[in-house]
Amino acid sequence: MTSDEALMLEFQGGSRAAFEELFARYRKSLYGFFWRRLNNPERAEDLVQETFLAVIRAASRYEPRALVRTYLYGIALKLVAAERRKFLTSSTLGHSAPEPKTDGTPEFVLWVRQAMEKLNSPDREILMLREYEQLSYSDIAELLRIPINTVRSKLFRSRLELKGYLESEAKTNPALRASAVQPHPRRRGLQ
Amino acid sequence: MSTNRHPIEQEELMAYLDGELPTDQATEAMSHLELCPECRTLAADFQDVSQTLMAWEVESPEVGIPSEINVALGERLQKRKAAKVNWSNLENRVITRRWLWAGALAIVCVAVGLQLTLTSRNRNEDRSTVYPSMASIEQYLMPDRNTEIAMARSAAPEAISSDAKILVLGWRGYEPANQGKNGFVCMVERSWMSPFNSAEFWNPRVRVPMCFNPAAARSILPLTIKRTEMVLAGMSKAQMIDSIRAGFANKELLAPEPGAMCYMMSRAGYLNDTLGHYVPHLMFYFPLTDKSSWGADLAGSPVTLNPQFRDGPEPITEFVIPVGKWSDGTAAPVM
Repeated sequence: MTSDEALMLEFQGGSRAAFEELFARYRKSLYGFFWRRLNNPERAEDLVQETFLAVIRAASRYEPRALVRTYLYGIALKLVAAERRKFLTSSTLGHSAPEPKTDGTPEFVLWVRQAMEKLNSPDREILMLREYEQLSYSDIAELLRIPINTVRSKLFRSRLELKGYLESEAKTNPALRASAVQPHPRRRGLQ
Repeated sequence: MSTNRHPIEQEELMAYLDGELPTDQATEAMSHLELCPECRTLAADFQDVSQTLMAWEVESPEVGIPSEINVALGERLQKRKAAKVNWSNLENRVITRRWLWAGALAIVCVAVGLQLTLTSRNRNEDRSTVYPSMASIEQYLMPDRNTEIAMARSAAPEAISSDAKILVLGWRGYEPANQGKNGFVCMVERSWMSPFNSAEFWNPRVRVPMCFNPAAARSILPLTIKRTEMVLAGMSKAQMIDSIRAGFANKELLAPEPGAMCYMMSRAGYLNDTLGHYVPHLMFYFPLTDKSSWGADLAGSPVTLNPQFRDGPEPITEFVIPVGKWSDGTAAPVM
């Protein structure tokens, strides 16, 4: 399989097919990245598009020193930060940020989401980058510009905290817990 | 958990489960985990948290490349093409009108090319000087036999490796640790199974857990045994290459049997300084085969041609296919 970095260099050299392959490889995971952070499927789709537009615009500046995966999530993190700033500004001007979409969302997903929201924001980001984007500790350290040992210790802390939250919730609603940890090869319907 | 009773910290255990520990620590963690129920409980807790988080699955709508991206893409590619054409026109004018410039340009190109060649050669030299020759044998051996056995078994899921024969590296070569029942053979390969021209051929940190199926145990494993014996006997690379060629010529070494494959699904392995733990994968062996027959290395294909035997004395083609889980059932990192 051609590496992402080789594809990016091919794209720099003018290959449309290389870009299309990168798009196919990362579209779904970037969509999940935005969805989980913004709880908004429409914005998630827009921001996936903006990420790839940024790649196209900056292609000539890409250097293979960075993994394409880290590079893409770096762009995505900046877009999420900008989106959050936008909501913050609009809420100080009296507009409220859109409510997270919960229609049709299974209860166990809401439960996991609520547990995640109890973590402090930097720890949650590290945990999400590890669990959902499956980035290595060094990728996360590079992206967030923090030492790798900090990544490890925060990840450890947030996993233990999360375990505590999930266990206490499970005591009050054991059926929900069972539902969340059941094997689910293809669970549907978050929107 | 007291650190007096546990040779590894809880954070290290987590890092091990994430495939983030260096080989030596990973094997230590793996061995300890087998013996310590308390740590297994903690490991199960971590895995439980990960599994619970996976409940938050997001299904992406199936869409092609949006038109806005297509337009931007088209513009960029066109600009690039135009830039190429303009450069080519400019170059033509320079060449036709000013021969002197062309000469100067040629000189600059030669100088730059020479510089690049030297830089590239220096880089290669720098890299190969890290492991220029064989280290002491102790550095390739694992101090604890049980750790090596556990690491070898971790190459394949337990259902396969628990009944497999295990080989352990000793001073004179690989030695059997048991007999095995299912025809599979698990072992930990060392750096000298890299291509002969690899800069890491003598890297003593390399530990590659592998579990050969019966067909590969009969036809591929003898190569590992032979190379290892030659290395431990102090033969030079040139002597080893000659000996392998002779081995194939006189049928001492065999072509891969049909169906020869091996499991490489250990999270504790260390393939080399570039790949680290890499990702769990399977390998399939054939007599020399065109990679296109498997669609290897094509865009979107999960099949890769492994360079292990490329341009080497072994007439073998080896394909690699990544799989989604480590042998312990945990999810693998995305490639």
